[in-house]
Amino acid sequence: MNFEERWSRFEELDAGRALGDLDAAELAEWQELSRDFGSDVGLDHLAGEMEALLTMEKPQALPPELAAGLKQQFSPTPVVEEKRGKVMLGPWLGWAVAACLLGLLMVNNLLPDKAPPAEQLLSALLAAAPDAKRLSFSPAGDAYAATTGEVVWSDSRQEGYMTLSKIPANDPTKRQYQLWIVDPARDEIPVDGGVFNIPAGPGPVVVPIDAKLAVHNPAAFVITLEQPGGVVKSKQEVVVALAKF
Amino acid sequence: MPASGSPPFNHLAGVARGDAGAMDACIDAHGGLVWSIVLKRVRDRTAAEDLTQEIFTEIWKTSGRYDPAIASESGFIAMIARRRAIDWTRKQQRLPEMESLTEKADFPAPGEDPGSAMDRDSLWKALETLPDETRSLFTLHFEQGLTHSEIAESTGLPLGSVKTRLRRGLLEARALLGRLGGRLNPNLEARS
Repeated sequence: MNFEERWSRFEELDAGRALGDLDAAELAEWQELSRDFGSDVGLDHLAGEMEALLTMEKPQALPPELAAGLKQQFSPTPVVEEKRGKVMLGPWLGWAVAACLLGLLMVNNLLPDKAPPAEQLLSALLAAAPDAKRLSFSPAGDAYAATTGEVVWSDSRQEGYMTLSKIPANDPTKRQYQLWIVDPARDEIPVDGGVFNIPAGPGPVVVPIDAKLAVHNPAAFVITLEQPGGVVKSKQEVVVALAKF
Repeated sequence: MPASGSPPFNHLAGVARGDAGAMDACIDAHGGLVWSIVLKRVRDRTAAEDLTQEIFTEIWKTSGRYDPAIASESGFIAMIARRRAIDWTRKQQRLPEMESLTEKADFPAPGEDPGSAMDRDSLWKALETLPDETRSLFTLHFEQGLTHSEIAESTGLPLGSVKTRLRRGLLEARALLGRLGGRLNPNLEARS
Protein backbone atom coordinates (compact mmCIF):
# COMPACT_ATOMS: atom_id res chain seq x y z
CA MET A 1 0.00 0.00 0.00
CA ASN A 2 1.23 3.48 -0.76
CA PHE A 3 1.02 6.30 1.77
CA GLU A 4 -2.48 7.46 0.75
CA GLU A 5 -3.86 3.94 0.85
CA ARG A 6 -2.32 3.35 4.25
CA TRP A 7 -3.78 6.63 5.53
CA SER A 8 -7.20 5.79 4.15
CA ARG A 9 -7.07 2.35 5.76
CA PHE A 10 -5.96 3.89 9.05
CA GLU A 11 -8.87 6.34 8.96
CA GLU A 12 -11.37 3.55 8.40
CA LEU A 13 -9.91 1.45 11.21
CA ASP A 14 -9.75 4.46 13.52
CA ALA A 15 -13.45 5.05 12.89
CA GLY A 16 -14.02 1.36 13.70
CA ARG A 17 -12.08 1.82 16.93
CA ALA A 18 -14.24 4.79 17.91
CA LEU A 19 -17.36 2.77 17.08
CA GLY A 20 -16.01 -0.23 19.01
CA ASP A 21 -16.26 -2.71 16.15
CA LEU A 22 -12.65 -3.78 15.45
CA ASP A 23 -12.01 -7.52 15.40
CA ALA A 24 -8.68 -8.96 16.56
CA ALA A 25 -6.99 -8.74 13.14
CA GLU A 26 -8.20 -5.19 12.56
CA LEU A 27 -7.09 -4.15 16.03
CA ALA A 28 -3.57 -5.44 15.33
CA GLU A 29 -3.59 -3.62 11.99
CA TRP A 30 -4.77 -0.39 13.64
CA GLN A 31 -2.04 -0.67 16.27
CA GLU A 32 0.60 -1.04 13.58
CA LEU A 33 -0.72 1.85 11.48
CA SER A 34 -1.15 4.10 14.51
CA ARG A 35 2.62 3.92 15.05
CA ASP A 36 2.98 5.85 11.79
CA PHE A 37 -0.09 8.03 11.93
CA GLY A 38 -0.50 8.58 15.66
CA SER A 39 -3.80 8.56 17.46
CA ASP A 40 -6.11 11.08 19.01
CA VAL A 41 -9.54 11.14 20.53
CA GLY A 42 -11.17 13.28 17.82
CA LEU A 43 -13.44 10.52 16.54
CA ASP A 44 -14.19 9.41 20.12
CA HIS A 45 -15.34 12.97 20.86
CA LEU A 46 -17.51 12.99 17.75
CA ALA A 47 -19.04 9.62 18.60
CA GLY A 48 -19.67 10.88 22.14
CA GLU A 49 -21.38 14.02 20.85
CA MET A 50 -23.54 11.97 18.47
CA GLU A 51 -24.47 9.56 21.24
CA ALA A 52 -25.36 12.41 23.63
CA LEU A 53 -27.33 14.23 20.95
CA LEU A 54 -29.42 11.23 19.96
CA THR A 55 -29.74 9.69 23.43
CA MET A 56 -31.03 12.92 24.95
CA GLU A 57 -34.02 12.74 22.62
CA LYS A 58 -35.55 10.13 24.93
CA PRO A 59 -33.38 9.77 28.01
CA GLN A 60 -34.23 7.29 30.74
CA ALA A 61 -34.17 8.51 34.32
CA LEU A 62 -31.42 7.23 36.57
CA PRO A 63 -33.10 4.94 39.15
CA PRO A 64 -33.46 6.93 42.39
CA GLU A 65 -31.79 4.26 44.54
CA LEU A 66 -28.80 4.19 42.20
CA ALA A 67 -28.60 7.98 42.18
CA ALA A 68 -28.68 8.00 45.98
CA GLY A 69 -25.95 5.34 46.15
CA LEU A 70 -23.74 7.28 43.76
CA LYS A 71 -24.18 10.50 45.71
CA GLN A 72 -23.29 8.71 48.93
CA GLN A 73 -20.22 7.23 47.26
CA PHE A 74 -18.91 10.66 46.30
CA SER A 75 -20.10 12.45 49.40
CA PRO A 76 -17.29 13.83 51.58
CA THR A 77 -19.61 14.03 54.61
CA PRO A 78 -18.97 11.35 57.25
CA VAL A 79 -21.92 9.46 58.65
CA VAL A 80 -21.88 9.53 62.45
CA GLU A 81 -24.03 6.82 63.94
CA GLU A 82 -25.48 7.37 67.40
CA LYS A 83 -26.55 4.38 69.43
CA ARG A 84 -27.92 4.27 72.97
CA GLY A 85 -26.89 7.86 73.51
CA LYS A 86 -23.25 7.23 72.72
CA VAL A 87 -21.43 8.44 69.63
CA MET A 88 -19.82 5.53 67.78
CA LEU A 89 -16.24 6.75 67.71
CA GLY A 90 -14.86 3.84 65.67
CA PRO A 91 -16.58 4.65 62.37
CA TRP A 92 -16.12 8.37 62.95
CA LEU A 93 -12.38 8.03 63.50
CA GLY A 94 -12.13 5.89 60.38
CA TRP A 95 -13.88 8.54 58.34
CA ALA A 96 -11.75 11.27 59.91
CA VAL A 97 -8.56 9.42 59.02
CA ALA A 98 -9.92 8.82 55.54
CA ALA A 99 -10.81 12.52 55.19
CA CYS A 100 -7.30 13.51 56.27
CA LEU A 101 -5.76 11.07 53.82
CA LEU A 102 -8.10 12.28 51.09
CA GLY A 103 -7.07 15.85 51.87
CA LEU A 104 -3.43 14.90 51.59
CA LEU A 105 -4.11 13.11 48.33
CA MET A 106 -5.92 16.14 46.93
CA VAL A 107 -3.07 18.44 47.93
CA ASN A 108 -0.51 16.08 46.46
CA ASN A 109 -2.35 15.61 43.24
CA LEU A 110 -4.16 18.96 42.83
CA LEU A 111 -6.62 17.55 40.31
CA PRO A 112 -8.67 14.39 40.63
CA ASP A 113 -7.65 13.15 37.19
CA LYS A 114 -4.20 12.51 38.56
CA ALA A 115 -5.10 9.28 40.31
CA PRO A 116 -3.16 8.75 43.53
CA PRO A 117 -0.67 5.89 43.54
CA ALA A 118 -2.16 2.51 44.41
CA GLU A 119 0.00 2.40 47.56
CA GLN A 120 -1.75 5.52 48.90
CA LEU A 121 -5.17 4.22 47.97
CA LEU A 122 -4.41 0.97 49.76
CA SER A 123 -3.39 2.86 52.90
CA ALA A 124 -6.55 4.97 52.70
CA LEU A 125 -8.69 1.86 52.34
CA LEU A 126 -7.08 0.17 55.32
CA ALA A 127 -7.63 3.30 57.39
CA ALA A 128 -11.23 3.85 56.38
CA ALA A 129 -12.73 0.39 55.87
CA PRO A 130 -13.00 -1.60 59.10
CA ASP A 131 -14.39 -4.56 57.15
CA ALA A 132 -11.30 -4.84 54.93
CA LYS A 133 -10.15 -8.45 54.76
CA ARG A 134 -6.45 -9.34 54.43
CA LEU A 135 -5.33 -12.63 52.95
CA SER A 136 -1.90 -13.95 52.00
CA PHE A 137 -1.21 -15.30 48.54
CA SER A 138 0.40 -18.74 48.17
CA PRO A 139 2.21 -19.81 45.01
CA ALA A 140 0.25 -22.29 42.92
CA GLY A 141 3.09 -24.04 41.11
CA ASP A 142 6.84 -24.54 40.94
CA ALA A 143 7.24 -21.84 38.31
CA TYR A 144 5.92 -19.28 40.81
CA ALA A 145 7.36 -20.81 43.98
CA ALA A 146 9.00 -17.53 45.04
CA THR A 147 5.77 -15.54 44.68
CA THR A 148 4.49 -13.87 47.82
CA GLY A 149 1.82 -11.30 48.39
CA GLU A 150 -1.31 -10.17 50.09
CA VAL A 151 -4.79 -9.15 49.02
CA VAL A 152 -6.88 -6.53 50.82
CA TRP A 153 -10.59 -6.38 50.00
CA SER A 154 -13.51 -4.38 51.40
CA ASP A 155 -17.01 -5.70 50.70
CA SER A 156 -18.63 -2.46 51.77
CA ARG A 157 -16.52 -0.35 49.44
CA GLN A 158 -16.13 -2.92 46.68
CA GLU A 159 -12.51 -1.92 46.60
CA GLY A 160 -9.32 -3.86 47.01
CA TYR A 161 -5.62 -4.10 46.23
CA MET A 162 -3.00 -6.81 45.82
CA THR A 163 0.58 -6.38 46.98
CA LEU A 164 2.68 -8.83 44.99
CA SER A 165 6.36 -9.75 45.12
CA LYS A 166 8.57 -11.93 42.96
CA ILE A 167 6.04 -12.56 40.23
CA PRO A 168 7.87 -12.74 36.88
CA ALA A 169 7.44 -9.65 34.70
CA ASN A 170 5.12 -10.28 31.74
CA ASP A 171 5.20 -9.09 28.14
CA PRO A 172 1.73 -7.48 27.75
CA THR A 173 1.70 -8.21 24.02
CA LYS A 174 1.99 -11.94 24.74
CA ARG A 175 0.48 -12.72 28.15
CA GLN A 176 -1.21 -10.78 30.93
CA TYR A 177 -2.05 -11.62 34.49
CA GLN A 178 -5.73 -11.73 35.48
CA LEU A 179 -7.34 -11.87 38.91
CA TRP A 180 -10.41 -13.97 39.65
CA ILE A 181 -12.59 -13.56 42.72
CA VAL A 182 -14.41 -16.67 43.89
CA ASP A 183 -17.71 -15.77 45.52
CA PRO A 184 -19.82 -18.95 45.79
CA ALA A 185 -22.70 -16.98 47.33
CA ARG A 186 -22.97 -15.04 44.09
CA ASP A 187 -22.15 -17.54 41.38
CA GLU A 188 -20.08 -20.63 40.80
CA ILE A 189 -18.24 -18.77 38.04
CA PRO A 190 -15.47 -16.55 39.46
CA VAL A 191 -15.81 -12.81 38.99
CA ASP A 192 -13.24 -11.14 36.74
CA GLY A 193 -11.05 -9.01 39.02
CA GLY A 194 -9.16 -7.27 36.22
CA VAL A 195 -6.17 -7.75 33.95
CA PHE A 196 -2.80 -6.42 35.05
CA ASN A 197 0.89 -6.40 34.24
CA ILE A 198 3.94 -6.93 36.41
CA PRO A 199 6.86 -4.71 35.39
CA ALA A 200 10.45 -5.87 35.58
CA GLY A 201 12.32 -4.84 38.68
CA PRO A 202 12.66 -5.62 42.32
CA GLY A 203 10.23 -4.73 45.05
CA PRO A 204 6.55 -5.33 45.65
CA VAL A 205 3.93 -4.05 43.23
CA VAL A 206 0.52 -2.80 44.40
CA VAL A 207 -2.24 -3.66 41.93
CA PRO A 208 -5.77 -2.26 42.25
CA ILE A 209 -8.53 -4.85 41.94
CA ASP A 210 -10.99 -4.06 39.16
CA ALA A 211 -13.94 -6.33 39.97
CA LYS A 212 -16.33 -6.31 37.03
CA LEU A 213 -19.28 -7.37 39.19
CA ALA A 214 -20.22 -6.76 42.80
CA VAL A 215 -18.56 -9.19 45.22
CA HIS A 216 -20.07 -9.58 48.68
CA ASN A 217 -18.55 -12.66 50.26
CA PRO A 218 -15.32 -13.66 48.53
CA ALA A 219 -13.94 -17.09 49.42
CA ALA A 220 -10.75 -16.93 47.37
CA PHE A 221 -8.67 -14.78 45.02
CA VAL A 222 -6.86 -16.51 42.18
CA ILE A 223 -4.26 -15.08 39.79
CA THR A 224 -3.93 -16.70 36.37
CA LEU A 225 -1.84 -15.96 33.29
CA GLU A 226 -3.95 -15.38 30.20
CA GLN A 227 -3.87 -14.06 26.67
CA PRO A 228 -3.49 -10.27 26.19
CA GLY A 229 -6.67 -8.49 27.27
CA GLY A 230 -7.70 -11.37 29.51
CA VAL A 231 -10.50 -13.85 29.04
CA VAL A 232 -14.17 -13.98 30.00
CA LYS A 233 -13.80 -17.42 31.57
CA SER A 234 -10.40 -18.82 32.54
CA LYS A 235 -9.38 -22.37 31.72
CA GLN A 236 -6.88 -21.96 34.57
CA GLU A 237 -4.11 -23.42 32.44
CA VAL A 238 -1.54 -21.29 34.26
CA VAL A 239 -2.46 -20.55 37.87
CA VAL A 240 0.07 -18.25 39.49
CA ALA A 241 -1.08 -17.79 43.05
CA LEU A 242 -4.13 -18.02 45.23
CA ALA A 243 -5.38 -16.62 48.50
CA LYS A 244 -8.30 -18.24 50.27
CA PHE A 245 -10.08 -18.31 53.60
CA MET B 1 -34.32 20.49 16.12
CA PRO B 2 -34.76 21.62 19.71
CA ALA B 3 -34.23 25.22 20.66
CA SER B 4 -30.94 26.32 22.09
CA GLY B 5 -29.63 29.30 23.95
CA SER B 6 -29.40 28.38 27.61
CA PRO B 7 -26.00 28.73 29.22
CA PRO B 8 -23.88 25.58 29.15
CA PHE B 9 -23.45 23.36 32.17
CA ASN B 10 -20.09 23.38 33.84
CA HIS B 11 -20.36 20.78 36.53
CA LEU B 12 -17.07 19.12 35.70
CA ALA B 13 -15.03 22.22 36.54
CA GLY B 14 -16.62 22.15 39.99
CA VAL B 15 -15.91 18.44 40.36
CA ALA B 16 -12.28 19.00 39.38
CA ARG B 17 -11.98 21.80 41.95
CA GLY B 18 -13.55 19.57 44.59
CA ASP B 19 -16.52 21.92 45.12
CA ALA B 20 -19.05 20.63 47.62
CA GLY B 21 -22.11 19.28 45.86
CA ALA B 22 -20.56 19.42 42.39
CA MET B 23 -20.60 15.66 41.97
CA ASP B 24 -24.23 15.50 43.15
CA ALA B 25 -25.15 18.15 40.58
CA CYS B 26 -23.24 16.25 37.91
CA ILE B 27 -25.11 13.04 38.78
CA ASP B 28 -28.44 14.91 38.68
CA ALA B 29 -27.59 16.51 35.33
CA HIS B 30 -26.03 13.54 33.55
CA GLY B 31 -27.24 10.45 35.41
CA GLY B 32 -30.04 9.86 32.92
CA LEU B 33 -27.67 10.17 29.97
CA VAL B 34 -25.17 7.71 31.45
CA TRP B 35 -27.88 5.28 32.53
CA SER B 36 -29.54 5.41 29.09
CA ILE B 37 -26.27 4.75 27.28
CA VAL B 38 -25.32 1.88 29.56
CA LEU B 39 -28.71 0.19 29.76
CA LYS B 40 -29.35 0.17 26.02
CA ARG B 41 -26.00 -1.50 25.37
CA VAL B 42 -25.57 -3.73 28.43
CA ARG B 43 -29.23 -4.81 28.87
CA ASP B 44 -28.56 -6.38 32.26
CA ARG B 45 -29.74 -4.22 35.11
CA THR B 46 -27.25 -5.42 37.71
CA ALA B 47 -24.31 -5.11 35.33
CA ALA B 48 -25.63 -1.71 34.20
CA GLU B 49 -25.71 -0.48 37.80
CA ASP B 50 -22.12 -1.64 38.38
CA LEU B 51 -20.99 -0.04 35.15
CA THR B 52 -22.74 3.25 35.92
CA GLN B 53 -20.85 3.36 39.21
CA GLU B 54 -17.55 2.76 37.40
CA ILE B 55 -18.37 5.44 34.84
CA PHE B 56 -19.05 8.10 37.45
CA THR B 57 -15.81 7.14 39.19
CA GLU B 58 -14.00 7.67 35.90
CA ILE B 59 -15.82 10.97 35.38
CA TRP B 60 -14.66 12.06 38.84
CA LYS B 61 -11.08 11.06 38.08
CA THR B 62 -10.93 12.66 34.62
CA SER B 63 -12.98 15.81 35.31
CA GLY B 64 -9.79 17.89 35.38
CA ARG B 65 -9.11 16.98 31.76
CA TYR B 66 -12.44 18.29 30.48
CA ASP B 67 -12.06 21.34 28.27
CA PRO B 68 -15.30 23.12 27.31
CA ALA B 69 -13.54 24.56 24.25
CA ILE B 70 -13.18 21.05 22.84
CA ALA B 71 -16.32 19.17 23.81
CA SER B 72 -19.70 19.69 25.38
CA GLU B 73 -20.01 18.36 28.90
CA SER B 74 -22.66 15.84 27.85
CA GLY B 75 -20.54 14.78 24.88
CA PHE B 76 -17.49 14.26 27.12
CA ILE B 77 -19.54 12.20 29.56
CA ALA B 78 -21.25 10.25 26.78
CA MET B 79 -17.82 9.48 25.31
CA ILE B 80 -16.72 7.91 28.61
CA ALA B 81 -20.01 6.06 29.10
CA ARG B 82 -20.16 4.60 25.59
CA ARG B 83 -16.52 3.52 25.72
CA ARG B 84 -17.10 1.67 28.99
CA ALA B 85 -20.34 0.10 27.72
CA ILE B 86 -18.70 -0.96 24.46
CA ASP B 87 -15.75 -2.46 26.36
CA TRP B 88 -18.17 -4.44 28.52
CA THR B 89 -20.04 -5.71 25.45
CA ARG B 90 -16.80 -6.66 23.69
CA LYS B 91 -15.72 -8.59 26.75
CA GLN B 92 -18.96 -10.57 26.73
CA GLN B 93 -18.36 -11.33 23.04
CA ARG B 94 -14.74 -12.38 23.82
CA LEU B 95 -13.34 -9.71 21.53
CA PRO B 96 -9.91 -8.30 22.45
CA GLU B 97 -9.76 -5.26 24.67
CA MET B 98 -9.22 -2.04 22.73
CA GLU B 99 -6.83 0.68 23.73
CA SER B 100 -8.71 3.44 25.47
CA LEU B 101 -7.60 6.73 24.02
CA THR B 102 -10.16 8.51 26.14
CA GLU B 103 -8.14 7.73 29.26
CA LYS B 104 -5.05 9.40 27.86
CA ALA B 105 -4.13 12.93 28.79
CA ASP B 106 -3.21 14.12 25.30
CA PHE B 107 -6.53 15.60 24.29
CA PRO B 108 -6.36 17.79 21.20
CA ALA B 109 -6.07 21.50 21.66
CA PRO B 110 -9.11 23.62 20.73
CA GLY B 111 -9.49 23.99 17.01
CA GLU B 112 -7.03 21.23 16.16
CA ASP B 113 -9.69 18.70 15.46
CA PRO B 114 -12.42 19.65 13.01
CA GLY B 115 -14.55 16.73 14.19
CA SER B 116 -14.85 17.87 17.75
CA ALA B 117 -15.05 21.66 17.60
CA MET B 118 -18.74 21.79 16.69
CA ASP B 119 -21.89 23.14 18.27
CA ARG B 120 -25.13 21.25 18.55
CA ASP B 121 -26.78 23.02 15.63
CA SER B 122 -23.87 22.02 13.42
CA LEU B 123 -24.17 18.44 14.61
CA TRP B 124 -27.85 18.41 13.68
CA LYS B 125 -27.07 20.00 10.32
CA ALA B 126 -24.41 17.39 9.66
CA LEU B 127 -26.81 14.60 10.63
CA GLU B 128 -29.48 15.99 8.34
CA THR B 129 -27.00 16.31 5.49
CA LEU B 130 -25.87 12.70 5.70
CA PRO B 131 -27.48 10.23 3.29
CA ASP B 132 -30.74 8.72 4.58
CA GLU B 133 -29.21 5.29 4.96
CA THR B 134 -26.27 6.58 7.04
CA ARG B 135 -28.62 8.63 9.22
CA SER B 136 -30.74 5.57 9.77
CA LEU B 137 -27.67 3.50 10.72
CA PHE B 138 -26.59 6.26 13.14
CA THR B 139 -30.00 6.17 14.79
CA LEU B 140 -29.77 2.41 15.27
CA HIS B 141 -26.20 2.57 16.61
CA PHE B 142 -26.12 5.77 18.66
CA GLU B 143 -29.74 6.20 19.71
CA GLN B 144 -30.90 2.61 20.08
CA GLY B 145 -27.52 1.07 20.94
CA LEU B 146 -27.97 -1.90 18.62
CA THR B 147 -24.98 -4.12 17.87
CA HIS B 148 -23.80 -4.35 14.27
CA SER B 149 -25.33 -7.84 14.02
CA GLU B 150 -28.66 -6.52 15.26
CA ILE B 151 -28.49 -3.65 12.78
CA ALA B 152 -27.78 -6.14 9.98
CA GLU B 153 -30.79 -8.20 11.05
CA SER B 154 -32.98 -5.13 11.36
CA THR B 155 -32.02 -3.58 8.02
CA GLY B 156 -31.32 -6.69 5.95
CA LEU B 157 -27.86 -5.34 5.10
CA PRO B 158 -24.88 -7.73 5.20
CA LEU B 159 -22.88 -7.38 8.44
CA GLY B 160 -19.79 -6.19 6.56
CA SER B 161 -21.78 -3.44 4.89
CA VAL B 162 -23.14 -2.23 8.23
CA LYS B 163 -19.60 -2.03 9.61
CA THR B 164 -18.19 -0.24 6.56
CA ARG B 165 -21.08 2.21 6.19
CA LEU B 166 -21.07 3.17 9.86
CA ARG B 167 -17.32 3.81 9.76
CA ARG B 168 -17.51 5.83 6.57
CA GLY B 169 -20.55 7.66 7.94
CA LEU B 170 -18.59 8.76 11.00
CA LEU B 171 -15.73 10.00 8.81
CA GLU B 172 -18.22 11.76 6.55
CA ALA B 173 -19.88 13.41 9.55
CA ARG B 174 -16.49 14.66 10.70
CA ALA B 175 -15.76 16.08 7.28
CA LEU B 176 -19.18 17.77 7.17
CA LEU B 177 -18.62 19.29 10.59
CA GLY B 178 -15.24 20.56 9.45
CA ARG B 179 -16.92 22.30 6.52
CA LEU B 180 -19.70 23.71 8.69
CA GLY B 181 -17.03 25.16 10.97
CA GLY B 182 -19.10 25.60 14.14
CA ARG B 183 -17.77 25.39 17.64
CA LEU B 184 -18.57 22.51 19.85
CA ASN B 185 -19.96 23.85 22.98
CA PRO B 186 -21.91 26.26 24.18
CA ASN B 187 -25.41 25.42 22.92
CA LEU B 188 -25.02 21.68 22.95
CA GLU B 189 -26.13 21.42 26.56
CA ALA B 190 -29.27 23.46 26.27
CA ARG B 191 -31.56 20.69 25.14
CA SER B 192 -31.54 18.43 28.17
